[in-house]
Formats: sequence, C-alpha cells, structure tokens
Amino acid sequence: MVKIYIDDREYDVPAGMNLVDAAKWHADNDIPVFCYHPKMEPVGMCRMCLVQQGAIEKDRATGEVVLDEHGQPKVRWMPKLQTACTQRVTDGMVIRTNTAEVDQARQNVIEFLLTSHPLDCPICDKGGECPLQNLTMEHGPGMSRMQFQDKQHLDKHVPLGDLIYLDEERCIQCARCVRFQDELVGDDVLAFHERGRRLQIITNSNPGFDTYFSGNTTDICPVGALTTADFRFGARPWELTEVPSIDPFDAAGSNISLSIRLDRDFGGKAMIKRVMPRQNESVNEIWISDKARFGHHFTRSENRAQSPMIRNANGQLMQTTWEEALKSVASILKAAGKDVAAIAGSQMSNEDLWALREVMSAVGSTRLGAWPITHAGADLVAQVGVGVGSNLGDLGKGDAVLIIASDLEEEVPIWRLRLKLAKERGVFLAVANARHTRMEDFATACLRYDYGMAAHFLSNLRAENPDLAQQLAQANNLIILTGAEGLSLDGSRALMQAAANFLIETGHVGKPNNGLLSTFPGPNGMGQYYMGFTPENTQDIMINPPKVLIVAQADLYHDDPSASQWVHEVETVINLTLFADETLSHEAHTILPIQSFAERDGTFTNGERRVQRFYTAQGPIADALPAWQVLSRLGEKLGRGKAKLSAATVMADIAKNVPAFAGVTYKEISNVKRQFPDVGGRDLYYGGTAYQNRGGLGVQLKTTAESGEAINTAPVELVNAPRSQAGQMLIVPTTVLYNRERTFLPSALMHPRVMMPYAEINSADAAKLGIKSGDVVEIVADTMRVRVKAHVNGGAPEGSIVLPRHLTTEAVPMTMTLGRVSKVD
Amino acid sequence: MNVIKGFATTFKHVLEESVTLQYPEQVRPFQQRYKGRHHLRRYDNGLEKCIGCSLCAASCPADAIWVEAAENSDEERYSPGERYAKTYEINMLRCIFCGYCEDACPTQAIELGHEHQLSFTDRRDVIFTKEMLIDPVPAGGQDTPQQVAPGAFNRSIPDMENPK
Amino acid sequence: MNQLQQKYQDRITHTLSKYPDKRSAVMPLLYIAQEEYGWVSPEGIDQVAEICDMDATQVKSIAGFYTMYSEKPKGKYWLQVCTDLPCALRGADQFHEDLKAYLEVEEGGTTADGMFTVEHVMCLAACDKAPMLQCNFHFAENLDMDKMKVLIEQWRNEVNQQVNGSR
Repeated sequence: MVKIYIDDREYDVPAGMNLVDAAKWHADNDIPVFCYHPKMEPVGMCRMCLVQQGAIEKDRATGEVVLDEHGQPKVRWMPKLQTACTQRVTDGMVIRTNTAEVDQARQNVIEFLLTSHPLDCPICDKGGECPLQNLTMEHGPGMSRMQFQDKQHLDKHVPLGDLIYLDEERCIQCARCVRFQDELVGDDVLAFHERGRRLQIITNSNPGFDTYFSGNTTDICPVGALTTADFRFGARPWELTEVPSIDPFDAAGSNISLSIRLDRDFGGKAMIKRVMPRQNESVNEIWISDKARFGHHFTRSENRAQSPMIRNANGQLMQTTWEEALKSVASILKAAGKDVAAIAGSQMSNEDLWALREVMSAVGSTRLGAWPITHAGADLVAQVGVGVGSNLGDLGKGDAVLIIASDLEEEVPIWRLRLKLAKERGVFLAVANARHTRMEDFATACLRYDYGMAAHFLSNLRAENPDLAQQLAQANNLIILTGAEGLSLDGSRALMQAAANFLIETGHVGKPNNGLLSTFPGPNGMGQYYMGFTPENTQDIMINPPKVLIVAQADLYHDDPSASQWVHEVETVINLTLFADETLSHEAHTILPIQSFAERDGTFTNGERRVQRFYTAQGPIADALPAWQVLSRLGEKLGRGKAKLSAATVMADIAKNVPAFAGVTYKEISNVKRQFPDVGGRDLYYGGTAYQNRGGLGVQLKTTAESGEAINTAPVELVNAPRSQAGQMLIVPTTVLYNRERTFLPSALMHPRVMMPYAEINSADAAKLGIKSGDVVEIVADTMRVRVKAHVNGGAPEGSIVLPRHLTTEAVPMTMTLGRVSKVD
Repeated sequence: MNVIKGFATTFKHVLEESVTLQYPEQVRPFQQRYKGRHHLRRYDNGLEKCIGCSLCAASCPADAIWVEAAENSDEERYSPGERYAKTYEINMLRCIFCGYCEDACPTQAIELGHEHQLSFTDRRDVIFTKEMLIDPVPAGGQDTPQQVAPGAFNRSIPDMENPK
Repeated sequence: MNQLQQKYQDRITHTLSKYPDKRSAVMPLLYIAQEEYGWVSPEGIDQVAEICDMDATQVKSIAGFYTMYSEKPKGKYWLQVCTDLPCALRGADQFHEDLKAYLEVEEGGTTADGMFTVEHVMCLAACDKAPMLQCNFHFAENLDMDKMKVLIEQWRNEVNQQVNGSR
C-alpha cells in the first residue's frame, strides 16, 4: 500500500494501481474518461482524464520530506496537466481534480469532441445512457463557439458485420472497440483508417466484424457510433426496465440483464427489447457472447405452444384446460404403475427438475434421464470440480489449464474469452484435441490424439508426454476443462475419470481455481445431475422404453436420429414443451405448454456449480405455465401434498432434500456485493453500459472434496473407440455456436451467420472419394442420412468426418459413430 | 334611492352588447396560444415531422404519450432521418394539456391545436392513435410511406442555425 | 503462392529475411504492391496480408495512415506539390495552380491519358528549393512552369520509349 493525496485528502491504495481506478475505488472520485476502460490497457488518447499531478518532494541526500514555510510537505507539481489513465499510483503522489485549470481542460476536450459530433441525440440509441452526453452536461462548455455548418456529414449507416452498424459521424475515435477486438478477443478485425479529422473505424476482413463477442463493443462504445441490428431504435434507454437473468445457452451461465418494455405488437405485454451483460466478475465479468445477446427471440416464437392439448379417441390433439390436462396425465401415470420414465432437457431450471423428480417419486419410478446424452461425469464435477471462490479471472503466472476434447469457442464462448486472457496473464494453457480448434491460436501447447482416444491420452499423459504432465502437475493451480467431442458417453465418462484422477493425484482438488470443468450443453447441466437426472439413465430408457414417458424440454427428434425408433415403443408420451411444432408433438398424447426462462423465476446451476437466479421479465405466452408449477400441481394430484406456489418454495424443498443445496435460499443467491471495477453505476463512461449486478451473484455449491471427505481415484474404464475401416469413416458430431436448434432459429437476424450444413473432410479422404470442396455429399450412418456440403480443408484428421450438429434439419448422431460418405451428383 | 341605483345598473347592462355566445352555433375565437388537442405535423412534401424520439413521452408529467419507433429506409420513408414513430398514441383522459410535449419536441412535430371538444362515451375512444393525430397530407405532398431517392433525407433534425 | 509472391519472389524473400517476424515487413511489401498495381489496391492489400499473416483490416489501416501509400488509382507519374507556408511564400501555390491548369486536372485528379496525377502535400523538407514537387518519391526542385513543361515532355517520352521498346 502507498499513500496518495487526491484533492488534499490522504488515501491508502495498492501500489501500481491505475490512477483512474484508484481514485474511483478508494476515493470515490470519478475522473471522467472516454478511451480508458478498466478492462483494457490505457492509451491516453482522448485527454479527458487530465488532472494536476505532483509529488511530495524529498531531500535526495536524506530522504526526508521537504517542508515549505508553513511546515507543510512541499509538492513539486508537473508543469502541465497529466492524463490520469496512464499513471500508476506511487508513494507520495498528489493529485488535484477540482481546480479551475482541470475544469477548463475538461471543458476544452468536450468542446473539441463536439466540433463534429452530430446533434443526433433525439434519435440516437445511446441517448440517455451516453457517456458523451453525460460528461457534456457535467463538464461541457454549455455554449458552442463552433459553426454548425462545419460539422462533417458522413455515412450514418455502415454495417461492420451483420450485427453491428457504425455511424461514422458519431464516432469520437476512442478505439475502445478496436482494442476490445485486439486485446480481449484476439480477432483484430477492426482498425483505424486514415488520420486526423478523416480517421474512421473500418473492417476490411472477409467476413467483416463477425466475432462471437461483437455485441460487447456497443456496450463499451462511449457514444452511439456502434449500435446492434437487434436493438436499433427499439426503445429509449430510460423507458427500459432492467430484469436480471441468466444466459440460457451454455454452461458458463453468463449473467445477463433483460431490458423490457411494453409493446403494442406483443399484445401490450412486457417484451425483451435487448439483452445486456450484467456484471459478475467471477462468471462473465462484463461480457456476454452474441448468442446470449441476440438469441432471445425464441421466447416469442410464433411456434410457442399455446395451451394444453390432449389426443382424443380419434387420435387428434384437442385443446383443453389445465385442470383437465393434469387430471388426464395423473390418471395415465397412476394406470402405468411404476413403468414410467422421464427425460429432462438442460434448459429446465433446478426447480423444474425437482418438481419432475417429485412427480416421478410419486409414481415410484427412479428412471430420470438427462438430455442430451453427450457429456458424462457430472458426478465427478460435483466431487472434484473447481473449488468455491474460483474465478478464471484470478488465474495467472504459475497456473495451468488443460482443455481436452472440446472446441471451447463454439461450446462455451465466455470461457474461451476468459481463458485467452488468462493465458496472456501467464497461465500455461494446453489444448488437446484430434483436430485444430480456435483455442489453439491462443494456447501455450497444442497436442493431438486420435478421435476417441482422449481418455487414453490423458491416462497415459505421464508416460507419453512427461514434460506436459510435469508442467500441469507442478502448477500452482490446475483446471482441467473437458468436452465430449469424438467420444461416446462411456468414452466421456472415461475421460472425466482420467481427468479427475490426474487432479486428485497431483493434489489439485478442493481448492479455489483447481479442479474439473466440463462443457455441459445448456445452462443447467450440473442441475440435472444434482436433481438426479443422468445421461446413463437416458441410455437405459432408450434401450428399454417405458410405458409412459414424460419428456420435458428435450427436442428428442431434432437431437437424435434414432428417436423415431425407440420413442415409437413408448405407449404414451407426455410432452412438456416450449414449442408446438416439435416432431415429438405428432407422437405425444399430451402437450403441456411451459414457459421459457424469460417469463418466470428460477435458478440454473452452471458448469462451475454456481446456482444463479433469473427473474420474471417477459409477459406470458397464452396459457403456458412454469414447468415447476405444472409438475407441482400434477404432484398434488398424485398425492405429493399441496402444490407449491412459488419457485422460492420449491428451492426451499430442494435445500431440504438435496445435500449439496443445503442452506441455499433465494435470498442468499440474490446477495450482491461491490465488485471491482465499478461498472454500470452513475458513470457509464467508466465501464460502459453493462449493468451493475442487482439480481445476485449466486451461490457456488461446495464440492465433496471441500467438505473434507477423502476423495479417491477410481480406475478409468477405457473404451475402445471405433476406428475407420474399409469404406467406413468416423462420423464426429461437433458443436457450433450458431445453429438451427429450435431455441436459436427464431432469431432471424442471426440467420446470415448460421452456416449452411457442412462436413469437414480431410483432403486425403476427399481425394480417395473424389470429393472437392463445395460438393454435396451424403453421409449415412445406421439411423442417419444427411446431405451436406463438403469442406475439404485441414479441419478433419484422416479417416474422420467432422459433422456439426444442429445445422441440418435432420438429426445428427449425438456421439461418434461409423458411417459411409458418398458424393451426390 | 338604493333601489334606483340598483335598477340603473340593471338597465345599463340591458342596453350593452351581450357577452353570451350561442355555443355551439357560435364559437369564440381562440387565443393563438390556446392548448387544445395535439396535432402531428407534416413537412410540405408530406413526410412526417415526428422522428419517434419519445422525448414528448419522457417530458409528459401525466404519462399520457406512448411512442414506439422503427427504422426508416429510402424505399419506405415516413420521416427524414433513420427513425420514425411506428406507434404514436395519446391518452386524452390522462393529458393535462400542459404543452410540455410541444416544448420537448426537437422537430416541432407535435403541436397543441385548438380543438377542445373532447368528450367520450367509451374509455377506449380516448386513446388517440397516430392516424387520428396526424395532419392530412398537404397539397402537392405525398402520403407516407414514400419511396425517395437514396440519401435524400438523411437528417432527422433539419439543419440547425448558428448561434447568434 | 499469390500473384505478388510469384512475380516478386526474390524481393519479397529478401524483405522478409530482414525482419525477425513477418508482420514487420508489411510496409516494404506495401510498396511492392503499390509498384505492381500503381496504387495500394484491394487485391494488393489482401496479398500483403496473406504474406505477412496479418488480418487484411490491419494492412488497410497501415496503408490508410501513411500518405505515401495511395489508396486511389494514380497516373504513371504521381506529382505531389508541396504548398506549405515556406513553399507558398516562394510561389508554390501559384505553381500548383498553373500545373493543374496546364495538365487540365483537378486537385488529386489524373490526366485523361493516365500519365499524371497532381495533388498537394504537406512539407517535404525541401523549403530552400521551393517550388518543388515529388514525382514518384523523387524530388524535382527549384521549379517554374517552363522547367516543368520540359520535365513533363521528358516523362512523356520516357513512357513512349518504354512502350516502343517493349514492342
């Protein structure tokens, strides 16, 4: 700690802290900035942060403080004002931010910036939450000495990509967007062009500005120069109500804020106008992926299920009331005895899952399946997952991360962003996969194994890669992040066990920033496990279909090509669903419409086992109800006691019955505390328009390792993966972020970014089969037959075909399988 | 004596011109600045002055105005610039005719006119929609949406004048 | 291997060998691209980006920042007349106007035969020899219109000879 003096008051601050940050955090003194951002390196371009700076003079010989004639320490002032953002605090630093000279400097900078800023505020999307507007009110000259006619008239509608538009007139050249792309994302597709008054932001890349994080530039833009295609003119910022929520797409569980406003076209109900990041420094800092930001349209899809439907004697689905529907379902369940099973998707909240489990125990069944069945080993994450208080942002020199069998950028983009930054802070980042993934561009070490051999690779790490093994073992903190690419469910379990063993053997468990992470699909993969839903159970359900199957928010036919076979053997399907147009609807006996994450309260448990809360934001769709409410009422009819009236009481039930959730309450999940840096408060110019966290930072569940129990390694049951052989190739399903899933397809503005169905084929295989890049190929594997475009590039290793899931309308296998490929003429 | 005085006053007024008007057949001329019901104005070419900025709604002390904006294109142009009001409604039951909306408007699109006969028999009738508020298309103008030459109307707010 | 690499293989290899990483060679390579296409054309930028393993946006940004790269097509002779104060005091302004009138071009324009582009520039550090201009990065100093007409004739002949020679 060092002593500094700001406006004649003394403060103790950590040495080396940025002066703007220090003044704000420790002295509550907001130094105005445009180009400085607490998450980026300072550049000192905008000159808004000018302050008077000096140092207490010390005698060189004695080191004593020199006193002036009044006995006060003598301050040696710098001859000119200094930019605060480029200063780091040192002992005896003296700063004045309230002198006439500083005021004049601020006024001049504002006046200068406004010489060519358009008078657009009434139609500007930033108007009302605009740093330039606010700082003009606070520090501006009030009158302009400039000629209005001198303002430059430039292009006001330049698409930088499909999602972000640039207004050249409004840009004040702070370079925050350019630096964000370069420093934080690592995709330097934005740059300055020309100089002086003609300076402009451009992109000359092909495709243009298309990173998965492009929306964040609109948050940090201190003017309205960058706007999103989604929100353009949607509402004025002051008309919006902020509702805390959670990204419903991936395991990171990014904290988001749904900005809602009543809307005529939505029946006068509250509607999501935009999705903004909400600060949670341990989860997503102040960034969210474009999928989270622009993927909210499915909540208002025209295909949303409207009211309960029951199939009548003629086999037609007829609309009915909730009471009738639930009565009918209850009698079906009672009649089925114990021959009932349930499959729950990973967008179900903890409360939904618990209520479903209650229904299942009412009928005496324990067949609780999790969907999709790609990632195994959630139990191991519960045992040796990253410790309470983990934060990828804390990783630094001496720490190590191993990413294996995952295409992290496509699976959990926020983790990819944060691990890229961790690597730059000195983390040893190893990436192992059977093919090149984007993460390798940022890795310290890249390793290859053959598809299906991830668990073998990790089990034999010490023997075959002793250097790497040692690097990882000796790291201060070690996180192993697994995916399930190119693995069967058994293979995924083997990989998780191998990873857990390595962590246990090297003592990297039960501590913060140490342990196992996995890219479970959907926002609540860990919640599924804690509530008793496992993919292994689902496998069993698929092999021995029950008489009655409850399917909850699982798009079976779109995910699994074999669904038509095994679902057919189920006598009665009860489908709790968001969408009425699922193929399963043709089979289902009862369709129960449920609410999406935006319309109700609930909690998700993210990949780091953080239970986080989302709140009711959007108006309801017709008769749809929250799944927990539907199931709780069903439970009442089956004799499980009175139906619960709120999500919070369901959580109270969970806390009572699920040991890991002991003590978890909505109140505790909703606790917030001040986070560094202070973003989204009264001074939007400092951190951008990401919202302050008012909805809760969540509660991280303890791992078994932390509760003091001894954790032992277990043998890894290695699975022999299929190998490509005569005429047969390995079909490797992979994940791409932008796809045609039912929860993403309704976001029409993302359509240009969703790839046409394709498969990557190695050039050697392509030559053998006479396939050129761009040819249409047919891929056939036991229950699947799809036609896609072939991409012949270095993407796929020889003998295998990389086939992204959810790009085709037909289902692609969930796990690796053998199949044939042929060219279609 | 007092009686005479009293009657004198009465007779004096009998001879004076009457101040009573036979409303509604006769209507008293309005003061120029009388604030009656709102009008949404158009430019001479028929484009709407309103740019959907919602500042009237923000300034409204009675929360009577509802604006939803959308984006203009040169193929379908409602107003100059990028933004126009897709929905514009005023709830006349709430309105207190203070004229703040007029003051807040950056394009002088909303003006309080002289219509004052605003009685209703159904609460739903008091919501005045954009169609009811907007002026008819002036002679020589064209109704909105218009198809215009690219880039012809790219400023929302007409050119500002230099400070005097 | 792209077009530039094929045509200027030796020079590019030599340029790249002078720097510790490829990225540093971007500016000399842009000169090669400018030489090839007469200006820093989009295809030139893409090829330089490919050689340097950079994003095309960054290459364009560099080409835009430095005035010696031209992002507009230019004539064979690119005449940049300095009109800063010291030069202007020695009549450079008038010289610039006369030159444009003589060649019948606007500021920054190119003659109909594609021979000459005339534009004014900021200080070229030859104030003592004003009026002066820079023709394809070579100085011509102490000019007046008579001298200029001779030079223009000379340059025209040069090109004619080249054309005839190549036949």
